[in-house]
Amino acid sequence: MTTLATRTTGAMAARPPIDSITLEIIRHQLAAIPNQIERNIERTAFSPLVYEYKDYSVGFVDPVGRLVVQSRGSLPIFVANALGTAVREGLEVLGPDQIHDGDIVITNNPAWLGQHLNNVVAYTPVRVEGELIGFFAVLVHWVDVGGSVPGSCVASNTTDVWQEGLQLPTLKLLERGRKRPELFRLIAANTRFPAFLLGDVEAQISGCQTGHDLVQEITARHGLEAIKSAIVAMWDGADHAVKAALARARPGTYIARAELDDDGVTPGRRVAVDISVTLSAEEILVDLSGLGPQTAGPFNAGRNGGAIAAARIACKYLFSPDTPVNDGDFRRLRVEIPDGRFLSASPDAAIGHSGSTVPTVVDAILNAFGQALPERAAAAHHGIYGIHAFDGRNPETGERFQHLDTVTGGWGATAVADGPSPYRSNGHGDVPDVPVEMQESFFPYRIEAKRLRPDSGGVGRCRGGLGVEKVYRILGDCRLVVGFDRVACPPWGVHGGGAGLPASVEILRANGTRESFSKGERRLSAGDFAYVRSGGGGGFGPAVERSVEDVLRDVRLGYVSREGAERDYGVVLSDDGIDEAATAARRSTMSSR
Amino acid sequence: MRYLIAADTGGTFTDLAVHDTQNGQTHFGKTLTNYGDLVAGVLEGLFDTSAELSEARLVKHGTTHVINALIQRSGARVALVTTEGFRDVVEMARGNRPIPFEIGFRRNPPLVERSLCFEVPERIDHNGAVLLPLDEPALETVAEAIRAANVEAVAVSFINAYRNSDHEDRAEAVLARLLPGVFVTSGTRLSREWSEFERATTAVANAYVGTNMDRYIADFVARLREQRFDGPLYMMGSNGGIMSTAQARRQPIALLESGPIGGCIGAGAYATALGLDRLIAFDMGGTTAKCALVEDGSFDVQSTYYVGGYERGFPVRTPVLDIVEVGAGGGSIAWIDAQGRLRVGPRSAGSDPGPIAFRRGGVEPTVTDANVALGRIGPDSFMNGRLPLDLDGARDAIRDRLAAPLGFEGEGGTDRVAQGVLDLAVVTMTGAIKEITIERGRDIRDYALFVFGGGGPIFGSELARELGIGLVVVPPQPGAFSSLGMLMAEARLDLARTILTRLSDAGMEEVRSGFEALTAEASDNAAAEFGVAGATFEYEADMRYRGQKHTVRVRLEQPFTTASARRAFEAGYKARYGRLNDGGEIDFVVLRVGALVPIPRPNLSDLVPEVGATAAPVPRLRQVHFEAVGGRLVTPIYRRAELPVGFAAEGPAVIEEYSATTIVGPLDRIEVGRLGELRITCPAASRR
Repeated sequence: MTTLATRTTGAMAARPPIDSITLEIIRHQLAAIPNQIERNIERTAFSPLVYEYKDYSVGFVDPVGRLVVQSRGSLPIFVANALGTAVREGLEVLGPDQIHDGDIVITNNPAWLGQHLNNVVAYTPVRVEGELIGFFAVLVHWVDVGGSVPGSCVASNTTDVWQEGLQLPTLKLLERGRKRPELFRLIAANTRFPAFLLGDVEAQISGCQTGHDLVQEITARHGLEAIKSAIVAMWDGADHAVKAALARARPGTYIARAELDDDGVTPGRRVAVDISVTLSAEEILVDLSGLGPQTAGPFNAGRNGGAIAAARIACKYLFSPDTPVNDGDFRRLRVEIPDGRFLSASPDAAIGHSGSTVPTVVDAILNAFGQALPERAAAAHHGIYGIHAFDGRNPETGERFQHLDTVTGGWGATAVADGPSPYRSNGHGDVPDVPVEMQESFFPYRIEAKRLRPDSGGVGRCRGGLGVEKVYRILGDCRLVVGFDRVACPPWGVHGGGAGLPASVEILRANGTRESFSKGERRLSAGDFAYVRSGGGGGFGPAVERSVEDVLRDVRLGYVSREGAERDYGVVLSDDGIDEAATAARRSTMSSR
Repeated sequence: MRYLIAADTGGTFTDLAVHDTQNGQTHFGKTLTNYGDLVAGVLEGLFDTSAELSEARLVKHGTTHVINALIQRSGARVALVTTEGFRDVVEMARGNRPIPFEIGFRRNPPLVERSLCFEVPERIDHNGAVLLPLDEPALETVAEAIRAANVEAVAVSFINAYRNSDHEDRAEAVLARLLPGVFVTSGTRLSREWSEFERATTAVANAYVGTNMDRYIADFVARLREQRFDGPLYMMGSNGGIMSTAQARRQPIALLESGPIGGCIGAGAYATALGLDRLIAFDMGGTTAKCALVEDGSFDVQSTYYVGGYERGFPVRTPVLDIVEVGAGGGSIAWIDAQGRLRVGPRSAGSDPGPIAFRRGGVEPTVTDANVALGRIGPDSFMNGRLPLDLDGARDAIRDRLAAPLGFEGEGGTDRVAQGVLDLAVVTMTGAIKEITIERGRDIRDYALFVFGGGGPIFGSELARELGIGLVVVPPQPGAFSSLGMLMAEARLDLARTILTRLSDAGMEEVRSGFEALTAEASDNAAAEFGVAGATFEYEADMRYRGQKHTVRVRLEQPFTTASARRAFEAGYKARYGRLNDGGEIDFVVLRVGALVPIPRPNLSDLVPEVGATAAPVPRLRQVHFEAVGGRLVTPIYRRAELPVGFAAEGPAVIEEYSATTIVGPLDRIEVGRLGELRITCPAASRR
């Protein structure tokens, strides 16, 4: 009996129809495709926002829109499965049979995607032997889709979505492989930068087509059944990692609170970010009912692009950071939020800054998660996109220009390490700064300094990362549009650590007047200066517990000033090193407080 | 003076190739790299080849010294001098997080610490105009501080210096004067391209390895002189050309990556001789596999290399062969992950302890063990039998550590898993090859695969089948091909300058005078470095459509006209992107001049192995597992040394030689070409 059973199993196992090794091979081959396409798009795109800032995402989703693989460089903000959501919209509007081979469908429909209109998804169906196996999709941030300001999404005072540009609710850009010229004319007519945009769209189309061919080739090689099994195995694998992390977390309900400075329209009107998460061995429940109501200004997002995106990003950071993103990462995640919150706004709401609030919400969710899984907890990071966009005409060439930038700042300390810096927000990934030398040769300003801000990291046993200061000298008339936040609610520390210094934008006019603002736009002229400062990260643990050696090192490297060392860490320095007695006295006073 | 000598110091082995110009023979030497004394390793290897240094015309040397110093952080204590306001240019990097969901992500720490970063007032604008003159008294104060800090090397990097290097040149001179014995370098000495972070990290890296390389080269020369060698020593540059020791001592960062260079030069030489205009050079060693495109006999050079990898490392702007490298080599370890899935690499057993089959204490099964277990590598024929392999140990480990936990049983199950290990390695390697072709818009099926390194010939046939490639070429001496290729290297000097002008008749004026200036400089340098006046020049330009960042590098021929430059750009653009941007304005961004100086080198026809017997070779037979048939086939095993030019056979077959094993699949055909190369044709019908 035993012998027979073994023999049977052995024979089965030696050559089962689709064995675990084949699944593994398919998994690697599928995972490689979006990364190959990503490199190609980066090379062929026209606008810096795509090739330099990498504001795009490439992936393959199954026939009902579940994410199978996504490029690794894709911004975290897109793991909400913007690609799959776009496909689900198409399936509802057109139905699978009306999406033909060779079609390229595009959409930026806020009712579905819930993100600013610049985010346009293009996708094409992949069929093998007549059977639909999924869609290859490429999301690209279109450089300008009309609206009230160049760049469309950067306006900070819009009050409905129609002020923000062109809506493209599931349209076929190519039909059975043929371009529809009328759509290209429509797009060209509705953008301020047609040459850039049409170049990017070409890259987007060819990304879909090349991805389609590569998926088809792999499927043809291994067979449909093998591909389907591999996809299920990929989802199961991701879920396995989440489950293992959950097993180490303490079950229970955890809450965290933060707030946004205002809604961009009414200064001082705070917006609540109250988070509750409940963890069990089987489920992660993220309850976002405590988010403030939909705002009058553009700091809204729809449910998919807002609430679900934020919850998924936080989940991914905490529970399965090491593996490529797919739908299995979120199998155990449930998100609750009623309609009408700022991350579940109605389709007519202004959503230009749809992503801007996400880093704060993610920070807050991570704060709640961190209470359940302290080994992976971190203090808050600088927490904003910190959009600062210049536009105008270049006095040297007379050409229209626009440069959208975001800040890099300090990240939060963990139990074992100081916060790293400077990096962009947790909604960004592999998004490099545009070099100062490139900016100066394209845009009418000079960057006179770009440096770390000493004493900006939240104090703590482990210190928060430092924020950054950039100093712009303006050389010609232009406009500066900014969207900053986290001043009223600076990047918090945890376990007794201090908060990071908040971000700020300050204008120094040629006539000597100064003005600070955090949202809105200002006209600038030659001779004006703009100071753009990002926040530091929060600290971890009480500052008095930081070793004197570490404080001394921070002073030597200029991360902490001598005054800061004494004030915040109780480390008193004399000309020849540490004043031991004064330090002991100061530290003992601090501990007893 | 009869010998031409190339010595390649690699991570594991030091390889030597010695060409005897009197009898046309080439001899090879191999020793374990001696990390304590790299020069000694070279001299020992030379001893093996029985060549006398006193009889050598020249010595070419490639070394991993520079990259090792950077990776192991064993370089000098460095200071950086920047424009006021930019002290943090290196530490801040570019704000990106290439591993997006790692909450504590951080880059490797910079080579220069913040307390040794100094600012001086000076400013140049984006057109090269001086806005603020260099503050020399402030610089002198900085020099004082640097002296007090016991710094061994200083890097200078100023904003917009790519447009005007006057301030950097001046600062370099002042610091060199005030800081005798300190190695001083500047960003624009190494790169005239824009991007302040990249130029600064390059200058810092050059300073970091500068003192060390200076000593190394001086020591090497002295030791060669002791052996009564009185010819020139040349260093192998990452750009594929050799350079004088004087240049290498000023610009050691140009020696950054020597490993794959020799092989690609060799591949280029064979490609030209055999009339193969499109090749993928594929090199597989113990820890990694590397591939590069070789088109019309030459390979692309890219200007940015990430030391420590893109994700956490830092960029260096120096011309480096354009290559994609992945962590799949013979020593890559196969393992089962937490979720019970079979994985291969990136960890490698390297050469110590090495694969289990090598009997040096390895316990984890590797790619090589899988090859041994499947009969693809003969246990008694590896290194001509000098290293008997432990077939049973390899099979047992695959059975116990991999097959059993995965639920595969019996001999068939072990074969299946061993083949799975190879398949996963192949997936990684084909991924690299696809990346280098797809990214550049090439059709992979137009290329032949040129395989070398200890592992390349084993996988050539399988890679070709996976990729739809029809021809695999294995050169003579595949395992020592890197040093052989180095023998073929010419002297090469590259100069480049950012120009930023549009393609127009007026712009062409600027281009012509730019090329003239660069040519004059290159010509002077070549005469000074190599004592030769007869350099030939190659002209290239990085061009782009206005607004697009990525440039296309195109070859330009004299006379430089607007029409010919447009044609060259459009051809290059179309090859890469498949389309043109009609009506788009075209810009020049960078001009490049390469000066080539001929250096004595062997003829490829001299490298054809001599085959003694004329009788038809008689193969032995062995059971070899082939994935294409999902089982074992009785397979003829040939010694490569017994196969004459013109020999042909149908697959399956295995061809063994000292340094490598070549696998010929069941549907393939093998032929020995006129330069002694093995040509494996893989029929389209067998493409999966």
